[in-house]
Amino acid sequence: MDPTQLSLAEASRAIAKGELSPVALTEAYLARIAALDGELHSYLLVLTDQALEAARAAEAELKAGRSRGALHGIPIGLKDIYKTKGIRTTAGSRVYETHVPSEDAETWVRLRNAGAVLLGKQETHEFAIGGPDFTLPFPPARNPWNLAHYPAGSSSGSAAAVGAHLCAGAMGSDTGGSIRGPAAFCGLAGLKPTYGRVSRRGVFPLSYSLDHCGPLTRTVEDCALMLQALAGYDALDPASADVPVPDYARALTPRLEGLRVGVVRHFHEKDAVAGFGRASMPSATYVETFDAACKTLESLGAKLVDLQLSPLVDYADANRLIMIAEAYALHEKDFRERPQLFGRHMFARIGLGAFLSAADYVEAVRQRRELCAEFAKACEGVDVVISANATGPAPRIDAVGTYNTFERASYTAPWNLTGSPALSVQIGFENGLPLAFQIVGKPFDEAGVLRAGNAFEQAAELYRQRPPIAAPLPGR
Amino acid sequence: MAEPISDERWAFLLERAGLDPSKAPERFAELREGYRLLERLQKTVRRPRDRAAEPAHIFVHPKG
Repeated sequence: MDPTQLSLAEASRAIAKGELSPVALTEAYLARIAALDGELHSYLLVLTDQALEAARAAEAELKAGRSRGALHGIPIGLKDIYKTKGIRTTAGSRVYETHVPSEDAETWVRLRNAGAVLLGKQETHEFAIGGPDFTLPFPPARNPWNLAHYPAGSSSGSAAAVGAHLCAGAMGSDTGGSIRGPAAFCGLAGLKPTYGRVSRRGVFPLSYSLDHCGPLTRTVEDCALMLQALAGYDALDPASADVPVPDYARALTPRLEGLRVGVVRHFHEKDAVAGFGRASMPSATYVETFDAACKTLESLGAKLVDLQLSPLVDYADANRLIMIAEAYALHEKDFRERPQLFGRHMFARIGLGAFLSAADYVEAVRQRRELCAEFAKACEGVDVVISANATGPAPRIDAVGTYNTFERASYTAPWNLTGSPALSVQIGFENGLPLAFQIVGKPFDEAGVLRAGNAFEQAAELYRQRPPIAAPLPGR
Repeated sequence: MAEPISDERWAFLLERAGLDPSKAPERFAELREGYRLLERLQKTVRRPRDRAAEPAHIFVHPKG
């Protein structure tokens, strides 16, 4: 069978048993990239020779009796904001179009040490905010379920590649939802870990206090396996937390008996339209699908209670203001000296930071403390929290406006503000495109989030439905 | 809906920020369109608070 049809976990088990060769797996993924990425645009750079060399080394190690664990010989991709020593890293921008870093991102070091094979660097919105942008030299990635549609961003290439089976897993980054949005639109599992859980060192920053690094995979179990290699203290990342790392795969259970789940319904049922207008109205199908997903959690033994928080706009706008201010400070010199290099969306979104005052920023950060305290208090009586993700299917890629990202409701931004672990899990379809919700946890309880997500995923079995582009290549 | 920003105000804001619109006229024209969004963001976060309400930033002494 075509090994690219396996999940990361299935491929890992087959490699461990000697039933699958890392070289054969890598060759199969490279063949798919060559055949399909011309229309998907998920990779900015494919590292064919390096990947095959790494796969051969992984295979030799296995033959010598040495295994590095679950990621040994697993082909992955990196969003092109992750620095790779000696390998071009563009951040999706003309500003860094020929940039070759002299260091690796700490996350890539950890994945490589765990045996992962790097297939290539994946398309990203410019500096993880400006996309989908047709004014840049890098064509935007497409949604694997329908190439005319948007895969979301900014980890667009990573999500598109995982969804189309052009890699087994990938790394994204998330400042307001850039892992969980693409996971939702592409029908994947996407985890934004707790702030401080996974190193950000060597990843181009967007907003220092909101940036998170995490995996995108086809199943929640795959996310758990990638997180195992990624999690842990990094003394050279100022935000890194020295907190013990549990065994994430061991935490996964088929049932959720006694799990207390708080459901934040008012975000999508009331706050979206009240705060952002009718363009943010959830689709009727989404509301029904969200409710059905909650019932599935109850059928698994979970106890659901409604949670009441401050309005969504309070969370989303504080997140946006902080992000714009921090990102503008980071790019101010280029805005002044060579603004013509920026793409249209990056310029329009982050350029707004030029007009914010110090008092605006401080007020947003004061609001952040209030909302973090509120959410921590609300979580005292529950184990995990459910909230909406995008409340409708992916739009056409040519219908995404420059300021949609600030004008519309964002259900992912609240959990960047609180720094909480948050997992996107698929809950259904609308018009042939995936829908998702989020499972949010207490700080450093990624295990609890993954447990709930895995149990739901196994019960719903939506992961078995893959987009047509993910089918095996002819003759394989 | 916010009032459109005047030419004079826009020129002042750009000058204060040290930005030169002649370097990328189309980009700056679109940026001007987005200025209205800042008003909502500012309104959301600027609200009465106790003077003792501190920001979320924390400083943690490094180990050692």
